[in-house]
Amino acid sequence: MTDTRLIHTVGVRALEWLWAHRDGFRLEPDVDPEVGFLERFKPVGELALICRVLFREGVAGSQQAELARRLVDHTWRHTLDGGRMLVRGQRIEPLSPIPFEVYLPYKELGYSEPEVERATVLYHRLSSWTALELDPTRRLGLAAFQRRFGLMPSPPEADLVGATWLARTPEPWTVSGHIAYDITHAVFHLTDWGERPDGLPPDIADYLAMWLPVWIDDWLDLKRWDLLGELLVVDACLPRPTLDERAWEGFAAAQQPDGAMPAFGTMPEGDPDEVFDMVYHPTLVAAFASVLATSRALSELAHATP
Amino acid sequence: MEQSGATTLLQGAVQDVASDVVSALRGGDHVRVSGAEAVDGPGGSLALAAVRVLGADLLLPHVLFRTPPAPETLTVFRETVEAFPPRADAAPAVMWSHWAMRRTLRRLDPSQAGSPGGDAFAEPDARWLDEATWQVLTHQLAVLAPLAVPGEDCAVARVARRRTVDVARGFVRAVRRRDWPQAAGAGRWLTLLDGVPDALGLQTGLDFVELMGGTDPRVALQAQAARVVRAAGALV
Repeated sequence: MTDTRLIHTVGVRALEWLWAHRDGFRLEPDVDPEVGFLERFKPVGELALICRVLFREGVAGSQQAELARRLVDHTWRHTLDGGRMLVRGQRIEPLSPIPFEVYLPYKELGYSEPEVERATVLYHRLSSWTALELDPTRRLGLAAFQRRFGLMPSPPEADLVGATWLARTPEPWTVSGHIAYDITHAVFHLTDWGERPDGLPPDIADYLAMWLPVWIDDWLDLKRWDLLGELLVVDACLPRPTLDERAWEGFAAAQQPDGAMPAFGTMPEGDPDEVFDMVYHPTLVAAFASVLATSRALSELAHATP
Repeated sequence: MEQSGATTLLQGAVQDVASDVVSALRGGDHVRVSGAEAVDGPGGSLALAAVRVLGADLLLPHVLFRTPPAPETLTVFRETVEAFPPRADAAPAVMWSHWAMRRTLRRLDPSQAGSPGGDAFAEPDARWLDEATWQVLTHQLAVLAPLAVPGEDCAVARVARRRTVDVARGFVRAVRRRDWPQAAGAGRWLTLLDGVPDALGLQTGLDFVELMGGTDPRVALQAQAARVVRAAGALV
């Protein structure tokens, strides 16, 4: 099993980079609405989601938790303008689930913008929202978020699982990069981002325990750090995580001295905003994988203590 | 890096011999070794080297279909076994590959009937496989695919039987890496093993491997061998 300090340090450094580069979480209010004002919301929502995981697991050091708190606060107040940017997003594209998906983790962390909530409840009543043509994994994620918000997803999550790639437990040698992301996200949604590992149905947990080591081995050797990080999250969601030493050591070695995690290979160079856009996601994933794996490693230690 | 002319020639000869074996596996004919008619000439030594690379699989159709090999093929095989004894410090896979050829010879060569067993025919050590990671295990088993023969026991086969899930993982890894020869060799082993996970989709997987890598006769050989083994198993 991997040294817990190594796992933990990856997350500490990732959060330091995210804090130092917080201005990279930026919207483009002047963009032509037809082009997509909502395109730049995704990083913000992911940040809040991961920070929420960090608070929930309670394994962050005080300095790390403080940085996470300040990041969430900064993005809510500045990037989202206290939630008003989400309202604007909903008005530009009422049927898009994105503003709601970004809003939910902030709401769970105590922030509030009543107008977003009112619009969300109204859109939920539209059969058009239910009929949106989303791919099965995304649909499952949206339903989970509706449940967390207090709405009754339609159709219910249990009816949505079977349509995902993962639930059919197909031939493991057919997994490509795209399919692998479908797998990791199905696991995130089924476990509420690692909060409920028992949300994984036993046949899916068995399937993952059997084949995940192969995928981790492969994407480690391919130096696909973003995907590897997500697969390490999946490992930490399993009933018996492996916390694979070779994978974690390779992952930690790929991290830059300032905490940035390249998406694949080595660090890209160029315009700082462009570099941020390429690197923020793997760095967030590094923080996510680190906090979950640290939490699982510490629980195992606690259980091992007589 | 450019390959030397000799290496290219040998690879071509291995492919030719493998094609001969594939034909025999498909058609139930005798294996004929291209180039073996001049065993003493330069073409002949190339044929011997090619047979050494292919190993016991040269006579696989005769083992699986229980038919006697053509005398000239048996001669090439016997001469290869004699011409390439492994050095004392050879890698375990080399030792085992040679052992597999000797076992096949004992089985199919009437002149070897009643030849001494005992120490002279003792199995090499297989402990290196017990300690191998699943990645290394699968690679080594694929190299030793000629040992994957139904009804034939040996220490390597016993390790494979104990580590079915590891071999299945190795198969997935090899397919993902497009290492078709390794995938085909691992797949052939898996057709012999109990407890292969259903989710692996082994049969379709082997067909996929053959489709992707089947222009390489070494891949076609393993895929066809697996097919014959499976058909034989279905009849039992």
